[in-house]
Amino acid sequence: MTLPETIPLLGIGWDDLLFLALTGVMLGSALLVVTMRDIIRCGLAMIVSFGALAGLYVLAGAPFVAGAQVLVYIGAISVLILFAIMLTQTKDAPGALVFQTQAIPAAIAALVMALILAITVVATDWSAVADRMWTFTGKAPAGRDELGVAESLFQDYVLPFEVVSVLLLAAVVGGVFIAKRERRGDA
Amino acid sequence: MLAFLDGISRSLDAYLVIAGIMFAVGSFGFLARRNAISMLMSIELMLNAVNLAIIGFGAFIPALHPDASVIALIVMAAAAAEATIGLAIVIAIFRNRKTPLVDEYDAMRQ
Repeated sequence: MTLPETIPLLGIGWDDLLFLALTGVMLGSALLVVTMRDIIRCGLAMIVSFGALAGLYVLAGAPFVAGAQVLVYIGAISVLILFAIMLTQTKDAPGALVFQTQAIPAAIAALVMALILAITVVATDWSAVADRMWTFTGKAPAGRDELGVAESLFQDYVLPFEVVSVLLLAAVVGGVFIAKRERRGDA
Repeated sequence: MLAFLDGISRSLDAYLVIAGIMFAVGSFGFLARRNAISMLMSIELMLNAVNLAIIGFGAFIPALHPDASVIALIVMAAAAAEATIGLAIVIAIFRNRKTPLVDEYDAMRQ
């Protein structure tokens, strides 16, 4: 038995349904991140948002980036943020006011920015092809290997790759230096 | 019922509009939240929105196909470095001021 091309009753394709579901989860949990009162729950909603975004990467034909997203964001950055939350929250912080006084102007500004971005995107001719070139279930484009990421990363982009490794080393050393507890007595 | 949405995952515009909305959500969080860590989480949301736009371009413009993935990976590494330093700064300030709320960090205007 094969699945029908479009979903009965809804009239959209399966990939469109997946796209809409992932988008809804991603944007919904992103809104929860910026509006919820309890900051631990904000951090957990952020993990959900990152996971849905990894699904969108797979749908857009970048499974390697999706894997890196799960490893780096869900595995590392989220854990780092949750640890920082546990280290810095005082008992009265969740009970206090969550938003700044400029929350309403900020909301208006964000809304206007979203509208401007959407209008710009729709009005611009991106000279894009009519379909995703490659999805996880499809075939690789002609003349490319499976993903093309390895060739590109270690040939064309090898200098940025090395620079990023130095940047990460500097960030680790700097993070340890800034966050370390200063002992009494030494300057 | 939803037939007007047919083919939405096969257009670049949908990816870019969603990236724009995600970026706007992140910028709202950055401007409106009082907690320093909430602001850092909003920055992460904005970085992810930009990454989604990059991956969308890579999926729909043939000349950018493998390059977009590499650029997204580099952005991700830069975001990791930013999160490390940002959280270290927040923890260092918290140790001095005993609060995570940014509107109580007023040492430089006294």
